[in-house]
Amino acid sequence: MSASLLSARGISFRYGGREVLSEVDLSVREGELAVLLGPNGAGKSTLLKLLSGLLHPQSGEVFLQGRPPASYGRREMARLLSVVGQDPPIDFPMTVEEFVGLGRFPHHGFFGGWTPEDRAQTERSLEMTALSALKRRGLGEISSGERQRAMVARAICQGAKVMLLDEPTAFLDLYHRVAFYEVVERLKEGCGIGALVASHDLSLCAEYGERIVLLSGGKVMASGRPEEVLTPENIRRAYGVTVACDRNPATGSVRVTPLKGQ
Amino acid sequence: MRRTVPILAGLLGAFLGAIALSVSTGPTAASLRHVVDAFAENGWSGIAGDAGAKVVLTLRFPRALLGALVGGALSASGVAFQALLRNPLADPYILGVSGGAAVGALAAFLLLPPDSFLPLPLCAFLGAALAASGVFLIARRRSGVSRERLILMGVVVGAFLNALIMLLVALSPPGKIPGALYWLMGDLGLGTLPRVGVLLPYVAAGTGILFLLSRGLDLLLLGDEPAFTTGLPVEKMKTVVYLTASLLAGSVVAVSGLIGFVGLIVPHGARALVGSGHRRLLPAAFLLGGTFLILADILARTASPSGELPVGAVTALSGAPFFLFLLRRNGSKP
Repeated sequence: MSASLLSARGISFRYGGREVLSEVDLSVREGELAVLLGPNGAGKSTLLKLLSGLLHPQSGEVFLQGRPPASYGRREMARLLSVVGQDPPIDFPMTVEEFVGLGRFPHHGFFGGWTPEDRAQTERSLEMTALSALKRRGLGEISSGERQRAMVARAICQGAKVMLLDEPTAFLDLYHRVAFYEVVERLKEGCGIGALVASHDLSLCAEYGERIVLLSGGKVMASGRPEEVLTPENIRRAYGVTVACDRNPATGSVRVTPLKGQ
Repeated sequence: MRRTVPILAGLLGAFLGAIALSVSTGPTAASLRHVVDAFAENGWSGIAGDAGAKVVLTLRFPRALLGALVGGALSASGVAFQALLRNPLADPYILGVSGGAAVGALAAFLLLPPDSFLPLPLCAFLGAALAASGVFLIARRRSGVSRERLILMGVVVGAFLNALIMLLVALSPPGKIPGALYWLMGDLGLGTLPRVGVLLPYVAAGTGILFLLSRGLDLLLLGDEPAFTTGLPVEKMKTVVYLTASLLAGSVVAVSGLIGFVGLIVPHGARALVGSGHRRLLPAAFLLGGTFLILADILARTASPSGELPVGAVTALSGAPFFLFLLRRNGSKP
């Protein structure tokens, strides 16, 4: 078993008096795609923010390569961990290339100039997300799916070992959803990256994810291989939906089909 | 890559051209030629002996320089406030600097003897600094400073200071008011050389710091969370940018009064030319703002035969059409 890049042990978090997460354990290992599933309001985004250092747990601990996030300098941490969240819109002119290139900040900081390496990484990220043809376009001139791919490209460009992605495929069409998971596969195998993806896309998660963590009501309801977690019982308890789970005859992975009228 | 270098070179050319035009324009027939000719004839003593050369060097040149500094600094400050607040409608005065400076200046006008010149900029600067830091402290919370709270508190403090201005004007003897109001409208005319001397270190330090922080300003455009996870210490950055941009605006307001429009619109014009990357944008905005204010000042002192117009009124009157054209032309890139 490969080393754990990022782990949470017994972390709990409250907004005001309301408990959003309680006693959550989770880890992301090298070369692994872990998927965070759970209904709206289950605490997925909060968990990702706790893992990325944007929020601090009231109890429990987070470790990034063995150290708590607060012990890292900002740039040092950004070289290890990148995040794709829900960015607010930008009301200023900026090209796709400039936007993606901002991911190089932790490598050169305030004063360093652009190196050939920065340029190469930007080019590579644009290519991996099929945005090379759009790189001169303004962010306001592309579709929301293309903007989402640009955010993924920016995170790739950051060159971090761990990637946390909050619903990175929400606006993508089927082709680009598959393409996204293929890119993650390439990064896993090529660079040993560990990725944690929060998603609602059960079938693709079952296809590409090595491990699934099912979150419900702020607690981990189930965690393990897709076939262990994606059972009719778990899904009914978490989502309140009756489903049939079988194996996809073409790939052998779990297939979840909601049942009509139940 | 955009063709940035030729654009910046063009802006620098326009900037120097505006200075040359400014020193050659005025009621006395004197121009740069006088200086060159006098120097060629008799060296430095030639310049000292030539009335035209003296007008150019001791009156007009400092004034052009002051216009350049004021216009450049307001534009750089505007660029910083727009990035800090992620708001294209932000300008250097949005968070209380103008109201604070106005109250300070009015108080100096009303309470101090009329012949003292320096206390006025000093009081205006103190007023601006107090208002800006007050807004910042009120908007600050333990978790940091939110943009929405900053804007809201800036508007509230601004309204309070405006009420104070009206109160001061209503309560003051009538003879004193026009002078104060004229100062508020912005002018570059009086006591030019000492003002350049006072302003220069502030502008050099302020714009220098902002330029060094260019990449951080780029990241601020993304929003707090993405900037944080991309490696920017967001709260520290916001504090430094806020203080720098406010002091820059405050020092300018203190020596030149409230010159509007430049800090709001020039940043957009500069973005249309070189994009939003602050390494290019800040120099472009400084040059464009300096050029623009020098030209507006030439207009202000030559347009009316009966005397000078307040340059603060001329900036918007003359600048609006030009910048509308510039922004419309680049309208496809929001």
